[in-house]
Amino acid sequence: MKRRDFLKVTLSTLFASQLPAKLMAQANQPVVAVAEGTDWAAITRRAITALGGMKAFVKPGNTVVVKPNIGWDRKPEYAANTHPLVVKAIVDECVKAGAKRVKVFDNTCNDPRRCYENSGIQATLKGLRNVEMKHVERERFKNTKINGSFLKEWELYDEALSADVLINVPIAKHHGLTGLTLGLKNMMGIMGGNRGYIHRNMEDALADLNQTVRSRLTIIDATRILLDHGPQGGSLKDVKVLNRVIASTDIVAADAYATTFFNLNPQDIPTTVAAHKRGLGEMNLSKIKLVKA
Amino acid sequence: MKITSSRISQLIFLAIFIILFVNTEYRGKDEISAAINSFFRANPLVTISYILAVKAVNILLIPGIMMILASAILGRFFCGWICPLGTIIDLATVKIRKSIPVKFLKGRFKYYLLFTLLAAALFNVNITGIFDPIAILVRALTFFLYPLLGYTVRSGWTGLYTALGEKRDYLDPLFAFLRDYILPFRETFYPLAFLSLIFFMGILFLERYERRNWCKNLCPLGTLLGIMANFSLFKRIPGKLCTDCGQCKEICPTGFDADTLQKSDCILCMDCKLQCAFKRVKFPFKGVPSIKRERAGGTKPVIGRRVFLGSILSGFLLSRAFVFQLPGQHERLLRPPGVKDEKDFLEKCVRCGECIKVCLRSALYPDYFKAGLYGVFMPVIIPRLGYCEYNCNLCGQVCPTGAIPNLALEKKKTSVIGVAVIDKNHCLPYAKKINCIVCEEHCPIPEKAIRFEVVEERDHSGKAITLKKPYIVEELCNGCGICENKCPLEGKSAIEIFAQRKRLGNV
Repeated sequence: MKRRDFLKVTLSTLFASQLPAKLMAQANQPVVAVAEGTDWAAITRRAITALGGMKAFVKPGNTVVVKPNIGWDRKPEYAANTHPLVVKAIVDECVKAGAKRVKVFDNTCNDPRRCYENSGIQATLKGLRNVEMKHVERERFKNTKINGSFLKEWELYDEALSADVLINVPIAKHHGLTGLTLGLKNMMGIMGGNRGYIHRNMEDALADLNQTVRSRLTIIDATRILLDHGPQGGSLKDVKVLNRVIASTDIVAADAYATTFFNLNPQDIPTTVAAHKRGLGEMNLSKIKLVKA
Repeated sequence: MKITSSRISQLIFLAIFIILFVNTEYRGKDEISAAINSFFRANPLVTISYILAVKAVNILLIPGIMMILASAILGRFFCGWICPLGTIIDLATVKIRKSIPVKFLKGRFKYYLLFTLLAAALFNVNITGIFDPIAILVRALTFFLYPLLGYTVRSGWTGLYTALGEKRDYLDPLFAFLRDYILPFRETFYPLAFLSLIFFMGILFLERYERRNWCKNLCPLGTLLGIMANFSLFKRIPGKLCTDCGQCKEICPTGFDADTLQKSDCILCMDCKLQCAFKRVKFPFKGVPSIKRERAGGTKPVIGRRVFLGSILSGFLLSRAFVFQLPGQHERLLRPPGVKDEKDFLEKCVRCGECIKVCLRSALYPDYFKAGLYGVFMPVIIPRLGYCEYNCNLCGQVCPTGAIPNLALEKKKTSVIGVAVIDKNHCLPYAKKINCIVCEEHCPIPEKAIRFEVVEERDHSGKAITLKKPYIVEELCNGCGICENKCPLEGKSAIEIFAQRKRLGNV
């Protein structure tokens, strides 16, 4: 390689990887990256690259928790769980960025073995180095002070609490109580105990939770979305293939933008509104910088 | 202990039994190809009582019928070469000091027991499973010993977490192996664990009096096989103790209560042949037997008229004594998915506990009350403890007699266990005007059997609120019980499943 080529490549790489992050910092405006395409692993990677690449979030030696939605005993095409290709692309990027350990788990609603199996995620991650996908173990939930407006304390999963980086990977879908379930709601997967209790005041509970445990990065799987009978669906009639993945460091902004896929406004989703009011992020679409990746 | 062919066979079958038992569990596959049910399908006692109770033959019973024929040719080889309970007794009895045999158990008690059970089955009360040796063993394992193993290992694992915290992860591969291949996935404790253990320990306790006490004097399966063995083509020579030695009486575990070998008690372990100092003992294949000669040789008549008539009478009395059921209990008598008719289920169920062992969410428990005495050890769903997983049909796959039909998954999803009913005095949106609908979220029916109406109301402080009030679509509900299971109210669930085996309304 000639010196000139070398410089070109180096500079352009630097430019490509650093520029969006720089711009973001300059404008001080939350960025939501949106990638569209039928190669779901590739669009996931593109969305991450648009935010500056995984190296911007994961440092060598970090322990990373990737928290997909694996709540239901449903196959990937039913859009009840995060798609395995999306999860794998993220996990790969984390390992490439030098993560010491990448942990993938969810506190499932159906039988955990069936959920891990049928979501396709367990099979996809099998054998990857420095990657683990273990079942949640009851004793690892730690009673944690939250001091929120609704939740004063709750049992939270130790691995989510001790991770250097937490990457929140929900799937965008319908939900009977909250309208939609997105990034803020996906964090319920780190809660133990009688989780149904928080249905009484879901929006405040989720704001409390997300205030205590912050997602460094939220990547929403909208490769296919569930339009009705959520959160577990079960009929392909309710599934719409959208071929999109969105990523943001601002969980509220990511949720707010994903809301538009359902022909809804961010203010229609009480969870998003409550989190915005709490200062957890931006829900006003006009204040969010959209980057097509 | 000598290593003989029969001992090797016993140990191999015990190993197979344990492997099949451990594999009667969801381990990542929707189908279980080999399960512990093989031991019940090849079980003549199960076969005959099924035929008597149901008054029909089932293709699943063919191995059992073949076993009956095999025993009529070969004798009681099952007891000495295969039976895992017999093997466990043989392994344990070495350590147990013997006193003198119990007189009460000698004579015809075992025939009364067997024929009483069979007669009761004829009168539609099939309770032989309670005394079936394989069922006793599987129940002791399923309801007590296996959960105990799981609990012990898991407590150790939890203890390590308390001591090491996240550092415990270094040991994880070891535990993952145990969890994925050996242990039950979750520790569940069962009602009747105590009774199941008592049956099993009682059998071992009987070894204080003589070797193979249960097998020789009580076991209804052994007794049945013994009756078949009378036709066997094998005959031990000499038929009596030799006057100059008589060691066989000491060596034989079952057959030499008197000076003449009881053919129906001989389990063909061949120990007498192997240990005979004079090489006199032989087991020749002697062709078609003559019953008359057997009797002349000293074998007691198997079924005397008195035993037969007495058993019919006691079987009839027993069958009537067992049928009482409290009507109120029936409301919550939730049987496994696919069971359409309670009477049919009672006749076919072996009470082996396999469905309970395999149940993915620990929804099934051995009953001790709801169906009266008759239903003891039979499976019932207790939704507050575990629900029926929508995409799972394992219980039907492992049931040895088809009491729980082996339904295709799509069919199982629509077969009705019961129907959910909301208790509006407890349900939050109704009773306290607080939103919840956890039940609706978890309902697995794609079109949702639990739906909600959105109502604008004022709460008790006068504030305007939008309430989502759940209701049941009975035409869709299959009674899986996840709603009752997940209802977040502490204590009593605000939504409960009530037994109902037919679909309401038109679909």
